[in-house]
Amino acid sequence: MSNPPGKSVLGLVASSVVHAAGHDPESLWRAAVEGRTGLRRNDLDWCSLDGWLGRVPGVEDAALAPEFAQWDCRNHRLAWLALRDADFAQAVAAAVTRHGAPRVGLLLGTSTSGIRATEQAYARRRDDGRWPTDFSWRHQHSADSIARFAAAVLGVQGPMSVLTTACSSSAKVFLTAQRWIDAGLVDAAVVGGADSLCLSTLHGFDALQLLSDDVCRPFDAGRRGISIGEAAGFVLLAREPAAVSLAGGGESSDAYHMSAPHPEGRGARDAMRAALDAAGLEPRDIGYVNAHGTATPANDRAEAAALASVFGAHGVPVSSNKGITGHTLGACGVVDAIVTAKALENELLPPSAMVREVDASLPVDVLREARPARGIRHAMSNNFGFGGSNCTLVFRRTG
Amino acid sequence: MAPLRFGLHAIGLLAPGFDDLSELRGAIRAGVPPTDDVPTPLPAPAGLPANERRRASQAVRLVLACAERALADSPFAAAELRTVCATDEGAGEVSLRMLETLATDRQVSPLVFPNSVYNAPSGNLSIAHGNREAANVVSFGFESFASGLLCAVVDASADHRPVMLVSYDPAMPEPLAELQPVSRSTGCAWILAADGVPTENPPMARFELSLVDPAQAPASPLPGWLAPWWAGHSSASAFAALGLLEAPAGSRFSMSLGGRTLVLDRLGDGA
Repeated sequence: MSNPPGKSVLGLVASSVVHAAGHDPESLWRAAVEGRTGLRRNDLDWCSLDGWLGRVPGVEDAALAPEFAQWDCRNHRLAWLALRDADFAQAVAAAVTRHGAPRVGLLLGTSTSGIRATEQAYARRRDDGRWPTDFSWRHQHSADSIARFAAAVLGVQGPMSVLTTACSSSAKVFLTAQRWIDAGLVDAAVVGGADSLCLSTLHGFDALQLLSDDVCRPFDAGRRGISIGEAAGFVLLAREPAAVSLAGGGESSDAYHMSAPHPEGRGARDAMRAALDAAGLEPRDIGYVNAHGTATPANDRAEAAALASVFGAHGVPVSSNKGITGHTLGACGVVDAIVTAKALENELLPPSAMVREVDASLPVDVLREARPARGIRHAMSNNFGFGGSNCTLVFRRTG
Repeated sequence: MAPLRFGLHAIGLLAPGFDDLSELRGAIRAGVPPTDDVPTPLPAPAGLPANERRRASQAVRLVLACAERALADSPFAAAELRTVCATDEGAGEVSLRMLETLATDRQVSPLVFPNSVYNAPSGNLSIAHGNREAANVVSFGFESFASGLLCAVVDASADHRPVMLVSYDPAMPEPLAELQPVSRSTGCAWILAADGVPTENPPMARFELSLVDPAQAPASPLPGWLAPWWAGHSSASAFAALGLLEAPAGSRFSMSLGGRTLVLDRLGDGA
């Protein structure tokens, strides 16, 4: 199966990710295959909401190198842990050597960036009338800061941007990067994103009554909402052979509601169909879908309807990682992409963690256990966000 | 890299002193800022359901107003445009409401939180026009317009579809304005199509976009016809670049973007 004319075959040359179950892609994959959750009861000393969180171990103790001190905030500590992954850093350095720093682009996604730093600084500004002297909006909160920080750490100097479309952000970066490479603007691109625990999203989702008091259970009959997680992940995309490549993707808008999905999953369906078209594939070519699967009653119902309209009822095996990592918001696109790539590479489909009883009213084949998938060629990853922003990516096993 | 050539088909703008394109062109020709710099009232967006219209944030009102003005002169139907929204801080007064609530009783309003995300204006834009095309939102500090323009032109070329780019800065309330000095809401929508996309009317101008080494082309300064208060606005570049409408073919406007310079060259009508 070849890509449509004009589209480059982009290998996922290297990846790194920090998440609730560990600090690298391998620990994410092991937790996904074993269905082992990284969620814990909320034990933050700055937020008393009842619920479960995908809190990354060690983030509070992570220390940025001294030359990056002005960038210090929770979001950049997460990013720092991922950027220091030796294999990933080496692959990016090799790309910089090979193509030149100006020919390596950077496209990252985030929803709230380092807003936790501003929450803390604002509380102090309120009390004593001054912004804390160690607070820098530009370096710690402004949406561009994640990319400028990552560029400084990695030494890339190409065109760059930050996409911020809520929970589809770090999926959409793959497609913008693909277009930049196809247009000849860059030869390689670092894509990914980061989002970290903060009061804004914890209390925001609580206000919408979308936070579960239980561990999140995607596609479960008793699901009661999301568990918020945090993560940072990066992937190096280049026209190079790799075990898994980006076959294409699709983007759409629901044009329906700011915070609720279209009930029949109209936009999700459009994104999946556009992704199949872009990859030159038919629904039967897809062996696995890594669902957005947030575990809100509305998301899983809408996504199941969309899956059934594209693949037929129970037409493709599906799982969600949200039970492992929690919903990592602007970072979930790259987290899910890494799990999907691992599934292809290992020819093994991960189960949907934390499911007790699949919601029988949903027309989807929810994976309860890891399932071998010898010879699988293509898999899909879905991510949807506030504002009706939808993105589907399709990956291909090269071997 | 093949040249990224596109035509500019419509402009919609909203800023103190610039109520429409002819006022802007007048200021460009005069070379001095307009005398009127009173903050512009932001109209309630007509396209949204009544509830959403009433509670629309300043950022949502700003983006939808710029879009309406551009669409009035657009040869393309609103629902067929891909969109790119480009902003620096993006949420303005909604950010302050969230921060104040979180610093006090933490009783966040379920109506405020969804409007605090960067893509709230983009989502509302798609709802107002029933537009189900891909919508992107970029935020890259003062380089937000440059980043949005690059995304918009590459998207337009890749998909052979017209794109609406809206570059905007909602006014920042105190004390957030101490961090980011944006005193007046400003926004500018560009409707553009890549060369080769058939249109009924010719574009108002054609351009070529390229990325070069900053040593070859440093960023252009803001023109004298933009008052000094524009300095903190990411959308200032979206206005400044329109100076090319009054300049001969071969003129250029350059903007920093990451480690590169994004150069916008005015083409001749037949080039």
